[in-house]
Amino acid sequence: MVLIQHTWQFFLSHSHQVVKATLQQLYLVGIPMGLAVIVAIPLTILSTRVKALYGPVIWFANAMQTIPSLALLALMIAMGMGIGTVPAVVALFLYALMPIVRNTYVGIQGVDEGVKDAARGMGVTTWQLLLIVELPLALRVIIAGVRSALVATVGFATLAALIGAGGLGNLIMEGMGMASNSIVLAGTIPAIILAFLADGVMGRVEKALTPRGLRV
Amino acid sequence: MAGSLLKFENVGKVYPDGTRAVSQFTLDIHQGEFVVLIGPSGCGKTTTLRMVNRLIEPSSGTILLDGQDFRQVRPVELRRRLGYVIQRIGLMPHLSIADNITFVPKLKKVSQKARRSRAYELLELVGLEPSAYMDRYPNELSGGQQQRIGVLRALAHDPDIILMDEPFGALDPLMREQLQEEVKRLQRAVSKTIIFVTHDMDEALTMADRIVLMREGEIVQVGTPEEMLRRPKDAFVTQFIGRHRMLRQASEVTVDEVMLTHPVTVPADLGLARSLDAMRRRRVDSLLVVQRDGSFCGVVRLPLVQDAMNLGRECGVGELAETCKTLCPQDLVLEAMHIMLEGQPSGVPVVDESAHVVGLVTRGTLVGLLGDALKRAHEAESPSTETADQWA
Repeated sequence: MVLIQHTWQFFLSHSHQVVKATLQQLYLVGIPMGLAVIVAIPLTILSTRVKALYGPVIWFANAMQTIPSLALLALMIAMGMGIGTVPAVVALFLYALMPIVRNTYVGIQGVDEGVKDAARGMGVTTWQLLLIVELPLALRVIIAGVRSALVATVGFATLAALIGAGGLGNLIMEGMGMASNSIVLAGTIPAIILAFLADGVMGRVEKALTPRGLRV
Repeated sequence: MAGSLLKFENVGKVYPDGTRAVSQFTLDIHQGEFVVLIGPSGCGKTTTLRMVNRLIEPSSGTILLDGQDFRQVRPVELRRRLGYVIQRIGLMPHLSIADNITFVPKLKKVSQKARRSRAYELLELVGLEPSAYMDRYPNELSGGQQQRIGVLRALAHDPDIILMDEPFGALDPLMREQLQEEVKRLQRAVSKTIIFVTHDMDEALTMADRIVLMREGEIVQVGTPEEMLRRPKDAFVTQFIGRHRMLRQASEVTVDEVMLTHPVTVPADLGLARSLDAMRRRRVDSLLVVQRDGSFCGVVRLPLVQDAMNLGRECGVGELAETCKTLCPQDLVLEAMHIMLEGQPSGVPVVDESAHVVGLVTRGTLVGLLGDALKRAHEAESPSTETADQWA
């Protein structure tokens, strides 16, 4: 009870700090996620066309996700990017690639051959095949990939404080340094809420973007 | 050449790995024709079909469409001028039925309103209630219904030529038959040229104006179903058709071709003793009883006559006659089989329109017919030209 009270008091007295950390956190999630979507989806679509590309792409994305997240952050520093927001954004971006690449590939490859054959036989251009047949049919799977990347990124972003990128992780570490559970919670609670929110929102998006004919 | 809508000139396809899928394929197809490409799997029939819309590019020869070399048309344009129906159906699961039907018009940027009215019109054409189907999705339809939509989709942009690649191969037999009839009816109604690939000879014989039988990438014989059945070019053709022939006998041969033409008839007022005598002399166990004017009144059986005699009855044989089912001379033999199987095994009288007995179909008749068919099927498998000549 006391802990909740203290945490609440910290929220009130340091609301500015909490809000700032949360905004930083959003930035640390939003920018890498945006980049990952912009890079991974087109690159993967390209590799469904140029098959030789898929091997290296999936290998790279897979490797980035396999490296322990803390090690990945440290690697950024070791690679000379220093500390702060930029190396954190790069690390988070690399980390988010894998689910998007995998799901985009599976989604596009999973479009029924019969549907594609029919579409080609009716005279769709290469672009039309992608835009009006493959993407709409793969969208649900692609969005599911983005969703799991996002949830992972929200979690990972709290670690970014370790290399000085700020965010809610900062509050958590500060609290741990000061042995103050209330400060730790002031960072933890918004981080948890953000994670659930991200998942919930993406779930909605997934549903909204599923064409009616594909809903079960 | 004038008159031919589609002309294959020495078309060949060799795959990069050296497989020779089609070679020296030359064929003229005329406006409104229903051409069926058939052959064992791997004979190049599907490859040939897919070369027409350039889903596969020929490695030699050319195809003329309306006299124009088809390579002068961009593949995408070419395909939008043709209709395409495939075994895997391939409806777009994310599009409504109306949007699926008018997929090509949409590619051609036809207005939404015009497309909906076209979809409406086409659904009506095959007797599907448009308001019930337009806004549904493919996964809400059965396989047969889906392929109906697949066929309508190929008609939506009013192409001259429709390519069909084993369109009914995945459907159950009942559905397949329905769709075969429907497509044939549609083809006559809208006078389209259809190139149809199948491996099912029954389907080919039912649907085709002309059959193109292929083997190992080459044409073996081209002809109407009638020609293929009557004058198969070689043992391969006979064998390919042979298996299907027996079934066709019963479903195509009419009763008057096989019936006994002089069945034993007796007048209704003939006495019982004389009737027995007639049976004994003609070695039959039943008689067809006719009125004085020759019209059929029934069948009388040996045991009944004997019983009546033993009881000492004095009457004309007509009073013992039982009614039974009869056939017309133009009925199919299949009909005779049905009647016999349904409890009239001894025979079915054949009467003409004025009710006169003109013949009789017995079990013996059917056995003879079956024997005939078996004999032909047997010949089909032995490539002796001598026996083939006998039947030519």
